[in-house]
This record gives sequence, C-alpha cells and structure tokens, in this order.
Amino acid sequence: MELTGKYTFEADQQSTWDLLMNTKAIAAAMPGVEELIPVEGAENQWRAEASLKIGAIGGTYTGVISMSEHDEPSKYRLTVEGEGQASIINGTAVIELLPNSDDSNKTTIQWVAEANISGKLARVGQRLIKATANMMSKRFFSALAKMLESDSTE
Amino acid sequence: MSTRMFGSGIKRREDPRLITGKAKYTDDIKLPGTLHMAVVRSPHAHANIKGIDTSAAEAMPGVVAVYTGEAMNLPIPTGALIPDCNLITPEHPSLAKEKVRYVGDGVAIVLAENRYQAQDAADVVKVDYEVLGAIINPEDATKDGAPQLFDDVPNNVAFRWLMGGAENQEASNKVFEAADVVVKERIVQQRLQPTTMEPRAALAQWNAATEEMTLWVTTQNPHIHRVLLSGIIGVPEHKLRIIAPEVGGGFGAKIDLYPDEALACWASLQTGRPVKWTETRSENYVAMTHGRDHVEYVELAATKDGKVTGIRSTVYAGMGAYLTTFGAGIPTILHALIYCGVYAFENAFADVIGAFTSATPVEAYRGAGRPEATFLVERLMDKMANALDMDPTELRRKNLIPKFEDGYAAPTGVTYDSGDYEPALDKVLEMAGYSDFRKEQEEARKNGKYLGIGVTTYTEICGLGPSEVNGAIGFQAGGWESSIIRMSPTGKAQVLIGVSPHGQGGATSFAQIFSDGTGIPMDDIEVVHGDTNTTPMGWGTYGSRNAAVGGAALAGAITKFKDKAKVMAAHMLEAAVEDIEYEDGQLYVKGSPDNAKAIQEIVLMSHLGWDMPAGAEPSFEVSNFYNPPNFVYPFGAHIAIVEIDAETGTVELKRYLAVDDCGHQINPMIVAGQIHGGLAQGIGQALCEGSIYDDNGQLLTGSMMDYAVPRADMFPNFELDHTVTPSPHQPLGIKGVGETGTIASTPTVYNAVMDALKPLSVESVDMPLTPYRVWEAIQNASNGGSA
Repeated sequence: MELTGKYTFEADQQSTWDLLMNTKAIAAAMPGVEELIPVEGAENQWRAEASLKIGAIGGTYTGVISMSEHDEPSKYRLTVEGEGQASIINGTAVIELLPNSDDSNKTTIQWVAEANISGKLARVGQRLIKATANMMSKRFFSALAKMLESDSTE
Repeated sequence: MSTRMFGSGIKRREDPRLITGKAKYTDDIKLPGTLHMAVVRSPHAHANIKGIDTSAAEAMPGVVAVYTGEAMNLPIPTGALIPDCNLITPEHPSLAKEKVRYVGDGVAIVLAENRYQAQDAADVVKVDYEVLGAIINPEDATKDGAPQLFDDVPNNVAFRWLMGGAENQEASNKVFEAADVVVKERIVQQRLQPTTMEPRAALAQWNAATEEMTLWVTTQNPHIHRVLLSGIIGVPEHKLRIIAPEVGGGFGAKIDLYPDEALACWASLQTGRPVKWTETRSENYVAMTHGRDHVEYVELAATKDGKVTGIRSTVYAGMGAYLTTFGAGIPTILHALIYCGVYAFENAFADVIGAFTSATPVEAYRGAGRPEATFLVERLMDKMANALDMDPTELRRKNLIPKFEDGYAAPTGVTYDSGDYEPALDKVLEMAGYSDFRKEQEEARKNGKYLGIGVTTYTEICGLGPSEVNGAIGFQAGGWESSIIRMSPTGKAQVLIGVSPHGQGGATSFAQIFSDGTGIPMDDIEVVHGDTNTTPMGWGTYGSRNAAVGGAALAGAITKFKDKAKVMAAHMLEAAVEDIEYEDGQLYVKGSPDNAKAIQEIVLMSHLGWDMPAGAEPSFEVSNFYNPPNFVYPFGAHIAIVEIDAETGTVELKRYLAVDDCGHQINPMIVAGQIHGGLAQGIGQALCEGSIYDDNGQLLTGSMMDYAVPRADMFPNFELDHTVTPSPHQPLGIKGVGETGTIASTPTVYNAVMDALKPLSVESVDMPLTPYRVWEAIQNASNGGSA
C-alpha cells in the first residue's frame, strides 16, 4: 500500500530538519507514543511503544524506528517495523524537505511511503488504514509545528 | 381419515427455542473448572517458522499452559481420496511446525482461566517468521516460478483428474471437431466465505477416572468426528462421545474435523480440565473453510440448428493450503458428473487440476461443485443461444432430456433417477409471463432502461449416496443412514437418527414422517439427533441427504415397526398376522375395525411381556439401516428479472421465480424455507459476495464490514411453485432440496444481468456483479464500440 502526503512548516529548511532529527520532539508529537528508546549498539534506531486505535482494533503496538540515508537538510529515509494486536506493520518512507522558493521561512515536507500490513489489521482495518495514516500524520506534523511556534515565540 | 402429517406445512417445532434465545449452542454450555483456549494464528500467508518464544505469554496472568506444534502430533486427515488422478495428500498438522501456509494457520495454543486472558496471552506469543511468497490464484499457482507450498508437490498440483480418462477426452475432441458452432468462456467461480450465524466452537471434557472424552462441537456429522478424532487423539471410539448441540448453520463448512477441535481435546487430555474454544467472527473468516474458488475455461459444441452435442472444461480448482475432508471430491465427482444438466448432450469432459494455494482451505459450500457446474452449463447455453440467434429458452427446450420415470444414463456415467423437465420450464415461464416480458424489455430498451431475464433449467446430484459408490470414488465414509424407533411403555416415541440436522428442521420433518406412518400423535414423538452416545451410527447432514437418505432409513424402520405391531396385535386379537390391518394407529382384523387395539396398548403389552407371541422379543424397539441404491436428482426451472441502472451499474433484482421438483414434500413450508435460504446464498454469489486477498495473501474481506453477505433488502418476494416427480427408488418418493436454491440461482441472476447488458455489447463480467464491475464493463464496452 502506498501512502503519500505533504505538510508545510513555517520554518526554514535547516530548522525543520533539526526538528525532525529531535527524537524527544518526535516522541512527543507521535500520536500514542510515550518515548523513543535508543536501541543499544545501533545508530539512529529507536524502540517505541504506541497505543493506537485503527478502526475496531485498539491496543498497543511495539516496534523499531530507524532513520537512514541522511542527506542533510533535504532528505532521509524512515523505516518502521512494528507489531501488535496479532498484526505486523512494515513500512519505509522517503521524506523530503523542500524549501519554499518564494518564502525561505517555509518548508514543505513531502513523503512517499510503502506499507505492508499483515494479520488482523489487514483483514479488519485495511479500509481504514489510509484514512488513519493521513489523520495521524496530520496530527504528528501539526504537533511538531506547534513546537516550532512556541520555540520561535520564546 | 385424519389429515396426513406427511405433506403438511406445519410450523417447525425447533423454532420457538431458536427465536427466543433459549436454544443451547456449544458456547452456552458451561462446565466448572473450564480452561479457555486461544489459537495463535499466522499473520502471514506463507512463511517459515524460525522460532517461537512463548515465555512472555506464559508469564501472563491466568495462563496455565502454552503449547506449540512440537508438543504434539495431531495430523488432520482428508476424506476424498479420488483415484486415478495422482492425488498428493501432504500432512496437515493441527499446529504448523516448520511452515505456515495461510493467514490463519495455527502455530500455538494458549490455555488460560478465562477467554480474555487466553487471547491477551496469545497476542504476545512471539513467532519469528521468514516470510515467503504468497499465491492465491489457483491457475497461477500451477505455473512455473510460483511460490511452492510443499516440497513434494511440484507446481502446487494436488491432483489432475480427467473425467472418463484419455479415452473420453478423445471422444470429446471428436464431438468438438464435428461441431458447427463452439462457444467458449472463462469463468471465475470466486472464493466464498460460508457465513454461518454461529461461528465454530468446541468444548472438550476429559474424565481421567472413567477415561472418557466428551466433545461438544459445532459439527454437521458427529459420528464422523468420533471416527476421526479417536484416531488422532488416541481415545478409542467407545470412550469418545461427540455431541452436536444446537448448531447454527453449517453449509458444508462444519463437515470437517478441524485442528482447533482436535487441539481442544488434546489440551483437555494434557490438563485434565475441560477446555473450551470459541472463535470470533474475524477468526472464523480466516480459519473456517471457504467455498468455490475455480478458474474455468469452458466450451460448448452444437450443430447449427441448435442440437448441443458436447461440453468440456479445463478447471483450476483452488484447494487452499491443505486438503479438506471433501477437498478433492468437490471439483471432480460432485462437479463434473452433472455437466450434462437436464440436457441430452452426447459427451461431457472435464480436465480438473487441483492446486494448493496459500489461502484458507476450501471445503463444500452449499451445493459443493454442483453450483459451479450448473453455472458453467447455463452460462454456455445462453452464449450458445446468442451465437445461434435463438431464444435461450427454446435452445434449452430443444435439448431437454425427455420425461423418464426410472433411470436415464447420462454420458458422465451417472444414472439420473427420474425427471420431467419441460413442465417445470413451462410453469415458470408462464408465472413470469415470458413472452410479454420480451416485449416489455424491447420497449424499455427504447427508453434507455435495461431489463434482463435469465432462465435456468437444472438438475443436480444429491442424497449422498450409495456406499459402494463412495468406495469406488475414494470417499472415506459410508453413504447409508440409520434410524432407531424406541417406544416407552406409555406409548411415547423417541426417533433416533444418524443424520445431524443443524437448521434444516429435521426434528419436525422426521416426526411428520413417523407420525404419518404410525398414527402416533406429533406431541408424543421426540426426534433425537446429534449425540453419538444416543443415536445410531450415521454419516451426518450434508449433500442434501437428511430427508433423502435419513428419511428413507426412517421409512424402513416404520415398516419394521408396523410389522412388529401386527405380530403382537394378531396375538392379542387371536388372528393371523396377515389379516391384521394397521390404520391411523389402530390395529384390527380385516373387516372388524370396531374391535381394534391401539398402538399404545400394543406397545405397553410388549413392554410388560406378560403374554408375548412365540418368538417375539419383549419391549418395543426397531432399528433400520438403509443404503441408498442411487443418488437423487431434484430439478427445476428458475427465472430472474433484473433492471440495471447504466449510470451506476446497480443491479436491481425485480422478480425471482423458482419451480423446483424435489419429489414428494414432507413439509412444504420447510421446503420453501430451504429454497429461500439457498436462493439468498446463490444470488449473493452472483451479486455481492467474494473473498478478496491482496498480493501478500492477506484476506481483506476478513470481517462482516468487508465481506458482503446479502441482505434482505436486496431481494424481492420469491415466487415459488413446484412440480412433483417422485424418486423411483426413495421409499417416500423424496429428493433432496437443501442445495437447489444455490445451485440454480447464481447462473439465473448472472444470465439475467448479461441479458440486460446485451444491447451494450457486454459479454462477460467476473462475479460478483457489483455496481462498480457492471459500470466498468459498460464503460469498457461503450469505449470499445466507439473506437
């Protein structure tokens, strides 16, 4: 399943990049996630636990999030391997940070993700996954955007 | 003469408890100390199991034990060992050991104090999978390069069956070479999910003191379960009791002995506690067997004046991941042997390839093979009529087998029992106003309205079946039935039957047969079924065999009952046995009906045994075992009238008419109920039902939100009528009726839709005919036309 989307931040490309690399900020912005725990001995890899409700299936999912292919400040890859609720979610996304040509204080994040979903979630929640993913990414980025705003006002 | 019970449309005696929620299903049975079992199921369609870590699950609250496949050896057998087709029967372990082969394949079980604890713990059993490629389409599964499910099954081919062998194939080729016209079609018989009201459940109780195992289970055939389970779990048959309490629908999917049922018994043996397992609906959709799943290439040959000469097919039949009980028998024996339908074809040939796929195993689903056969025959008849520019009903009429009362040898090798097809066709055409409809249709087309009519004439093979035939075709079971009549001293009757009704109304219809035959009032009769400790050995309920075979067994028992009563009456009346008349429960010497003995008095005196005739046994009990000499062949003619909204592709079913002939009807209301249910399921296949898997083998139609079961608002009031052509060999003249609705209705509705779309040049759309598919076909056809 392919998931795509974009979101525009009111910040320059480098600040946006710094924000996206800040795991504390990410953990705080991710719906249902308490914290990201670095995986020992691995670089740019974190363990996470998330409480999510997708369609009729609510519960805890655990997984590993990795970042790779860093091309600061314009591009990186995010990989998620998660499971829970008798389901397995695997996904990888290429995230691009595109500076706005008219306004250097705007950066558009654009992502293309490929997700594979197995198990109960596939057969009960499949129809709702795109909608849920869109909703959650919107919540995620708007939470991040709010952090940017509060930073800039300080 | 009192009103005859046989033929009376009385209300079903089962219904008050069923519709007031007072019936006891397996899950309603509570035993103290019960452990609850949850099954850890594969989320992958095809994967190697690298390891299973049960430690987290074992540490969960309430968990008593967690077991994987390594702890046991519980292979599930297949029952249809079809000869001469190189059938390969790979092992089907109750829990997968090295490899999982479909989403839903069990890998571990958790036993806990309650259901929620069991499920929570099942969710944390950690299985390390190495994911392999999935294959869902049965035709693609046989191609080189497809993922291989079993090492010893090349190209996933479970079997290849040529009907009548190479000799018949040659004969078929000759018929096709000589034909003036040949029409072809590729048909996808989509995979269906039998949606029983009650999902599966099992409650196993091992009693270590008596060494007895009792299993309450959702089955259509408790005695078969007893035979198979005893072999698997090692509890001998005389210590094993299977009880099918109320069973909420089966449709073929509750024939099999399932891994989950064997596991519950095994777990009870391990723990010494009762073990209960009840599946959820979404679990049911992946782990209960599915139906149909063919990709077919079919052809029909005819002369230019409309004499159809031959039919042939190449069928890729999906078996799913493992062979079920009837698995290989469905697309072969139960399918191709009815390829001639009601028509006097010269030849029929089928080349059937059974393919393993990484999907839920395929088993009988209401009709089992015969709906697929009837669909392809009837689809081809309509195509042929179009090719010859003939009216489809006239093409059918021209090719009907003339009336026969005792045997018609079809080229497929089976002998139809009796048939009189044209009156059924005439009747349904008259009910529908066929000739007027064609005018109406033409008018409507001028106004941009697309009306269509589909007409099907069908026969089917059911009432399984002669045991010697079962032996010859590799079915690992007998086909006979049984009945015991046990009279109590006060004249009350228990009728114990070997079939196991689960929604067919057998407790009513068998009582009607018995009351009609003996004059014992309905209120004094209890029909007992579904318990191996109380009922005689029998082979269960499937293949429309309840009344056709079980009813015949009871008819024979009634004859013995009356003979026994006559001996006692002759003794009491001091007359010769041959002079005794038995009428309406009264026995008397011919010509002296005023000096009669009531059957109840005869029963009482037999129980007391104070004064028995020489050589007569005391008490009053008779048993009868009946092996049918042939199958039964119900038939009929159905019509569907549809209107299609070309803008949206929506199909509206405006009228549905069915004239069925199941011989003599025990209870016309039950017959109508069976036809209604069958029609709903058959029309469901035509218009909305179908399993959808993604490329990774994930079942996307895994809940009732996604799997489109038909709903009442899709249907008009069904218009039913019947003709009566008794079976010559069935003692009551009965033919089966449980499956006729699904067998006839799918092609009838499909052909009606194609008839409606004819002016738009749409020739074929894969089922189900959802609005989107119909709309898309209309768009493609009109684009093609303008290009």
